Amino acid sequence: MYRGLMIVMTITMMGCKKDLLDSTPYAQATSANFWRNAEDAVSAANALYPLLGDEMFFGHPEQAWDICSDDQWRSGDWGNEQAIEDFTFDASNDQLNWNWSLKYEEISRANAIIINVPKIEMDANLRNRILGEAYFIRGLMYWHFYKIYGQVPIITEENVISNTYNVPKATIEQMEARIETDFKEAAQLLYLQNDGTNTGRPTKGAAWGYLSKLYLYKKDFPNAILYGNNVINGSYKLLNKFSDNFNADIIENSEMLFSIQRHRGWTEENMATWYYAPRPWDGWGFQEPTDDLASEFEAGDPRLKATMASIGDVITPGPTGGPVVYTAGLNNTGHYFRKHAAFRVEGDGLDHDLDIPLLRTADIYLVVAEAKIRSGQNGDGEINAVRKRAGLPNVTNAKMSNLIHERRVELAGENERHIDLIRWDKANIVNIVAHYAINRGQWKPGRQFQRPKHYYFALPQRQIDLSNGVLIQNPNYK
Amino acid sequence: MSLPSMLKQVIAFVVCIASFQQAMAQTSVTGKVTDQSNGAPVPNVSVTIKGTSRGTATNINGVYVLSLQNGDAVLVFSSAGYETREIAVNGKSTIDVSFSISSTKLSEVVVIGYGSQSRKDVTGAVASVKGEQIQNLPVSSATQALQGRAAGVNVVRNGGSPGNTGSIRIRGTGTINNAEPLVVIDGIPAGDLNSVNPNDIASIEILKDASASAIYGTRAANGVVIVTTKRGNFEQPMRVSLNTYTGRSQARKTLEVLDAASLSLLKKERYVNDNIPVASEWNDPNNLVQRTDWQNELFGRGTTNNIDLSVSGGSAKSSFMISGGMYDEKGIITNSYFKRYSMRINSDHKIGNKLKIGQSLQLTRATDNSLNTLSSQDGLIWSAVRFMPFLPVKNSDGTWSSSQGSPNQYGDINNPIFTANSVDSRNTNTRLLANANAEYEIIKGLKLKANLGLDGNHYQGRSFNIIVSDQTRGNARNSLSNNFSESYSLLGEYFLSYSKVLGGLHKIDAVAGYTSQTFDGDYFSAVKRDFPNESMEQRYLDAGQNFGSINGNRTYDALQSAFGRFNYDFDKRYLLTATFRADGSSKFAPENRWGYFPAFSAGWRISNEKFFDVSFINDLKLTAGWGQLGNQNVSSLQYLALIGNVGQYSFGTNDVTGVAQRRLPNYLISWETAEMANLGLSAEMFNRSLQVNLNYFDKTTNDMLLAPPTIGTVGRLSIPDKNVGTLKNSGFEIDLNYNNKIGQVSYRVGGNAAFIKNKVVKLFDGNYIGSSAYGRMGQEISRTYEGMPIGIFYGWKTNGLYQTAQEISSDVNIKNDSRRTDGLIQPGDVRFLDLNGDGKITEADRTTIGSPHPKMVYGFNTDFNYKNFDLSLFFLGNAGVEIYNADRMQGIDPTYPFNMYAETLDRWNGPNTSNTIPRMTTKRNNLNHRTSDMFIENGSFLRLKNLSFGYTLDEKAASRIGVDRLRFYVTGQNVLTFTKYSGLDPELGYANDGNRQINVDYAQYPQSRSWILGLNVTF
Repeated sequence: MYRGLMIVMTITMMGCKKDLLDSTPYAQATSANFWRNAEDAVSAANALYPLLGDEMFFGHPEQAWDICSDDQWRSGDWGNEQAIEDFTFDASNDQLNWNWSLKYEEISRANAIIINVPKIEMDANLRNRILGEAYFIRGLMYWHFYKIYGQVPIITEENVISNTYNVPKATIEQMEARIETDFKEAAQLLYLQNDGTNTGRPTKGAAWGYLSKLYLYKKDFPNAILYGNNVINGSYKLLNKFSDNFNADIIENSEMLFSIQRHRGWTEENMATWYYAPRPWDGWGFQEPTDDLASEFEAGDPRLKATMASIGDVITPGPTGGPVVYTAGLNNTGHYFRKHAAFRVEGDGLDHDLDIPLLRTADIYLVVAEAKIRSGQNGDGEINAVRKRAGLPNVTNAKMSNLIHERRVELAGENERHIDLIRWDKANIVNIVAHYAINRGQWKPGRQFQRPKHYYFALPQRQIDLSNGVLIQNPNYK
Repeated sequence: MSLPSMLKQVIAFVVCIASFQQAMAQTSVTGKVTDQSNGAPVPNVSVTIKGTSRGTATNINGVYVLSLQNGDAVLVFSSAGYETREIAVNGKSTIDVSFSISSTKLSEVVVIGYGSQSRKDVTGAVASVKGEQIQNLPVSSATQALQGRAAGVNVVRNGGSPGNTGSIRIRGTGTINNAEPLVVIDGIPAGDLNSVNPNDIASIEILKDASASAIYGTRAANGVVIVTTKRGNFEQPMRVSLNTYTGRSQARKTLEVLDAASLSLLKKERYVNDNIPVASEWNDPNNLVQRTDWQNELFGRGTTNNIDLSVSGGSAKSSFMISGGMYDEKGIITNSYFKRYSMRINSDHKIGNKLKIGQSLQLTRATDNSLNTLSSQDGLIWSAVRFMPFLPVKNSDGTWSSSQGSPNQYGDINNPIFTANSVDSRNTNTRLLANANAEYEIIKGLKLKANLGLDGNHYQGRSFNIIVSDQTRGNARNSLSNNFSESYSLLGEYFLSYSKVLGGLHKIDAVAGYTSQTFDGDYFSAVKRDFPNESMEQRYLDAGQNFGSINGNRTYDALQSAFGRFNYDFDKRYLLTATFRADGSSKFAPENRWGYFPAFSAGWRISNEKFFDVSFINDLKLTAGWGQLGNQNVSSLQYLALIGNVGQYSFGTNDVTGVAQRRLPNYLISWETAEMANLGLSAEMFNRSLQVNLNYFDKTTNDMLLAPPTIGTVGRLSIPDKNVGTLKNSGFEIDLNYNNKIGQVSYRVGGNAAFIKNKVVKLFDGNYIGSSAYGRMGQEISRTYEGMPIGIFYGWKTNGLYQTAQEISSDVNIKNDSRRTDGLIQPGDVRFLDLNGDGKITEADRTTIGSPHPKMVYGFNTDFNYKNFDLSLFFLGNAGVEIYNADRMQGIDPTYPFNMYAETLDRWNGPNTSNTIPRMTTKRNNLNHRTSDMFIENGSFLRLKNLSFGYTLDEKAASRIGVDRLRFYVTGQNVLTFTKYSGLDPELGYANDGNRQINVDYAQYPQSRSWILGLNVTF
């Protein structure tokens, strides 16, 4: 009897193979077996985009800086946003930290491509495009960092190789140089146009567009005009109809230099749509346009209705029932941004095919116009191109006031206004302190903007804590 | 034929075990074994004939019958908990035995890893809980029943949701990672003990110190819980035992919230204070009508039903125990439930004289739906506290009411009763736990043992989200998510044990062996959306129109170990134990795979020394031990830089998937090592009526695996754990037991207490570990710092409210604060303390404001027996502990569009009206309700956990109705609670973030008070 048992035991013991402790990473690769070929490189480039639409990235917080402006009221119920809007926030405000590390994750994915893709044997054109995408995304992240915080730590491929991540923040000049270099590399490497299966990847035009904006911020007007004209004179034409920029059914859009692509059922839903749509219509009712913004539009400007809904408009929100009249009480201010919240023509609710716009050619027209006006040239051509598309009469000898008006109505809700006002305040074109102190009613009472403290937001306290003294807070937030 | 005996015959036929009819013998002996202390019959006493393997066991009435052969001279009576007695037959045919009260803990046999030991020889710290102490309580798992039973074994209840059994912390929280002890069920290291029917458990041993647990080196750093299930006895007449109870439960309390009229009053006051127009909703007379107490609507009556049946018996060669049970608990919140079916077959067989084989098999299927009661965004109780009191449960047209009338004023909360009624989620766990073991005696004293085990788990989860169009938090698309996972673990253990007495004085026991265990896992999940028809029978994946997602993967881990233990006993005075274990774990890179864990302990039985002469001390033993233990309970493959799919994107309509690195690697990752010293003293006194057990321990966890908080510049790569932390737990434990008899009343009193200090000695770079933030403001509550216990409360200190503008203008705390000069701070706002002296209230003014760790955890019980009546009371408690009442922090905050606590009526509304509840405002300029000491509460509590009163039918009456024993009882759970804590339940435990956050009130599912009526019948 026990012999049988011994046999069972022996078999079991033999079953204990020598490599019992070797574990396999299933359905994943390691750096040893990745970066082999063009397919791997394309997959790595594809990883640059999914995060952009994350709820805590361009899905909401990265769009929410503009609640500081006079264009929109924060709405929603996030206490941290009230503090941002009212300029009473401190460094531990969550809004400051929501996507800090998401931006660096994008940078990390870009750095991995910049390090590894040059070593892959593959088609040179495709390799250039992939590297161009990586430089573009990295530049885009530093551009957003620059606008919000001014100075942040710069992490490049060299930091990855030397494994040094806890570094001091760069100077403003270093930030600008980094953005410039990355977008210039991207402009060099990217395609002029992508084919239909690659619609939505950045192009040379997108990189030129951001360069043009960077130079405007740096007050390097000749370069702003130079790169802006590259866009304007390229194939990145304004659409005939302004509202088609915010139409989910328009897939090929020459004007959309860069946007976050949404495809219902495959990508994440358009998180921004949830945030902007009215609560009773299945949205979350954040970021409502103010009456002050609505009154900025000239009579007959079709951009008003494309930008926002107002009381009395007829909309088909679905998912049950047909067209309904938009009434007071659906939102606090009596408006919501239609640019970000479309309803499906099928009548079954919010349209999650709607892309999230980040940069349009119309913006670049106005960048060039501003650079020209501020450098003593005439910017009428560019402003009027934008006005013409809106069916509005030309302006002549446009001044900054014309430009400021045009930017406000053309780009309302596209996260430009507050940062524009800061730029103009720095250039003594507007007085942001006085402008923000004006009481615009219950949804935009007067607020105390402190100059220069609020030119930049505070660096996230959490990141300062984690850096152990390496990351130094912005002035006036200490 | 009476019904029970008929049933008994049917069962005997069905189980079809080889006949164990007693062979007719020439002579037989019978008798009854009773407990001398109270005359109660003692069942399951093993009665063997000395020098043979023949024997029997007493039945439920303490009666045995044993056939004798020629030459049988002496009977040996033994039973766990009683001193073994030997009695010569001397031709008698009846031998009654009275086990004396000296039946003491010391003679108990204690199950330890890979063997058992008499308690008197134990040199480590081992606690035992007998099955009967934890049976027939209205709880789903033995984990809950263990609470308060042994010093240093802290069961932390994480609320009272059905099926949520709590967490076990042995001798403090040993690591910031998974600090659950290793649970060994019938020799199989098996995760948790929640699948075991508590009524199947014979005993639970808790190995607390290094010396006791080092034999399980790899996974012993957090202690070991050894569960031994009931088995049949050889030569035991068949016995059928039926247990059933039924009971009801209800909420212990609800939170007082504002009624509709008071709510309107306070809402209006906010606007007046802020100088802005009152929202019209608060002047609506309809909103002044009190319609619903949402907590009363949510909390209903729960029920608990249990029935189990066991059959056991044995012949000379085989014994068995079969049981089946059903436990069905419906919680106090609509729709919450836990249900378990269990089955067990245990048997032992002797084959020849040298070989014994045995097996255990457990099959369970448990189902529950875990309702959302932890979220501070939409938890059910959280919602019920905050939903508008003027809204009805249902509108007059029969539809559910909602806050859609004005989401901005009534809050974006869904009707909690609607939510509770529309939840469609289910978790089902099916588990097979089986082992087969064999023991072969090679030569006398030397045995070869093998144990092969299988632990298979199948999990199925489903969750259907309906379209919600008439509530504020809507859902436009319905979806069904189905998850399946399977895990199976195979165990092989082979070991030799040797036992020998040399020269009468030297007793040696040794065990050494090899063990390996593999863990395979496989899962997939699928989501489909857009189900055109939501009727229950359509809620299956095939009916969904659009594809959501599909995920699946496989995991594998393994452990391989060699172990040995050597016990030496010199003259019953000096005891020595040495243990060693070498473990290899697949979780670490090949170079860092192996860990070596030694332990030593020694005992001195002082009372056996000749010089010892203290008459009232019957037994005295001093023990000391030291050892190292390992913990490898962290994520696998952290030594690799893994690259995988990170998200989906589309170019136009071209759908693609991105691939990127997901984790930074740490090639050096290896074991956590806990080093532990123990000093123990045990004594029995006053004719063994008083037993005292004292232990002091000091445990340091080195190389604690921590994922340093990710500096943002790294991105979102998951950070591997590094062996950098050090954590220390030290404490003192005391167990006391006393039993005696006054007249016909016999009683026992027992108590235990542990005083444990937890301290994080080292983290990384002097930084801290954060934890889950609360609510929409993302409020930080808990942090872990060096030099402090894990998860202390962190926030601002306060000193009442500003009563006048003058107090504000002269307050040094805010003398440089721009909010003061901007007029943003008003009378009725909170005075926060400026700790760093910069005259501003900033992040830098935060500090430790409380600790969630109890200074003392204790339990005590008392049992009385008088004739056929028995009464037992069991209390447990925590003392010196604090709770962060986050629900109250938000509950009195007027800036949210929610209902508030009733106490908000006592708010500040003029000088000296309140110094504790801030003014009404819609603004958050002073952040009055930020994390602060205003919301720290004393969390000490004492609970009459169980009260049980029983009546056992006397034997004659029982036999008249054809049963051996019959007992009725009534048991209450959470009968009384003494606490100053204002929330629903002081036992909050771990909520959202493991060990990093404890005792934070999220309006968790509270424990209920329940009463059951039960019946045990044995025949």
